[in-house]
Amino acid sequence: MIDSLCDESGEEGIAVAGFYCDFRDQQEQTTTNIMGAILKQLVTRGGVLGHVQTAFQKAKMELCGRGLRLPDMVQMLKRAVATLRQVFICIDALDECLPKHLLELLGSLKEIVQESPRTRIFVTGRPHVEVEVIRYFTTGIIVPISPSKHEIKRYLEKKLEMDTTRDAMSDDLRADILRIIPERISEMYEYQ
Amino acid sequence: MDRTAYPHSINSGNSNSYNVTNIHNNITDANKVIADENTEIMRWLSPLDPGRRHQDVRTDRLDGVGNWLLETNEFREWRSSEGEADKAVLFCYGNPGVGKTFLR
Repeated sequence: MIDSLCDESGEEGIAVAGFYCDFRDQQEQTTTNIMGAILKQLVTRGGVLGHVQTAFQKAKMELCGRGLRLPDMVQMLKRAVATLRQVFICIDALDECLPKHLLELLGSLKEIVQESPRTRIFVTGRPHVEVEVIRYFTTGIIVPISPSKHEIKRYLEKKLEMDTTRDAMSDDLRADILRIIPERISEMYEYQ
Repeated sequence: MDRTAYPHSINSGNSNSYNVTNIHNNITDANKVIADENTEIMRWLSPLDPGRRHQDVRTDRLDGVGNWLLETNEFREWRSSEGEADKAVLFCYGNPGVGKTFLR
């Protein structure tokens, strides 16, 4: 998604920033750090934005004041987003955040959209986080994802092509793999 | 006359080249300070680096998989409704392993 949006958004003033949540990194992936990671991607466009630099220098002067708080981060991000024509924010696997971080994250994204309504937010997650997404974005657009038989088959073909022990493969086995697995997988997702 | 002019020209040459080197060093130092500060700012903003993970996803992605999403009405509506806050969010859900991360 990030790449597709980047390909399409060659225009001046359009920025795409993304983040992948990972349950293995839950402790470090706080809302402030996630928002900071998004902001980092916006400020690398055309150098560090002046206001971020000023905030950094101010924080540096203050005793022990170097750690950023979420409200300050959201404020900076809102300012950065407002200077651009349009910003796309993509966040993968919302369900992998700690519940507390998820709510803060959605709340912060909402603040950004309220301030800059052109902002487009693309998020993915397991079905159970839909409730939380809807809580913050009641009119959000929702799309269920399931792999098509065709895509599974293409994926298997690719994997079989890369098989390092080809001797163990026969035409019959190959044909069975390509027929049975896509069927079973799509049945599996149909019932979910 | 030559003997007196010669050292002078060497001197002036040296002082010129000293100045140029000096200016060059100053510019290099200034660039280095800016670069160092930028690195520091980046670290201050967040210790996380999503770029690496994105590179992995790109490498593992099979071209064309997930392209169907770009053709859906939902995606088009989200993409084209610029400025409409109520359509700002597109949420794609699915169970583990359906390919949410690899949507293109």
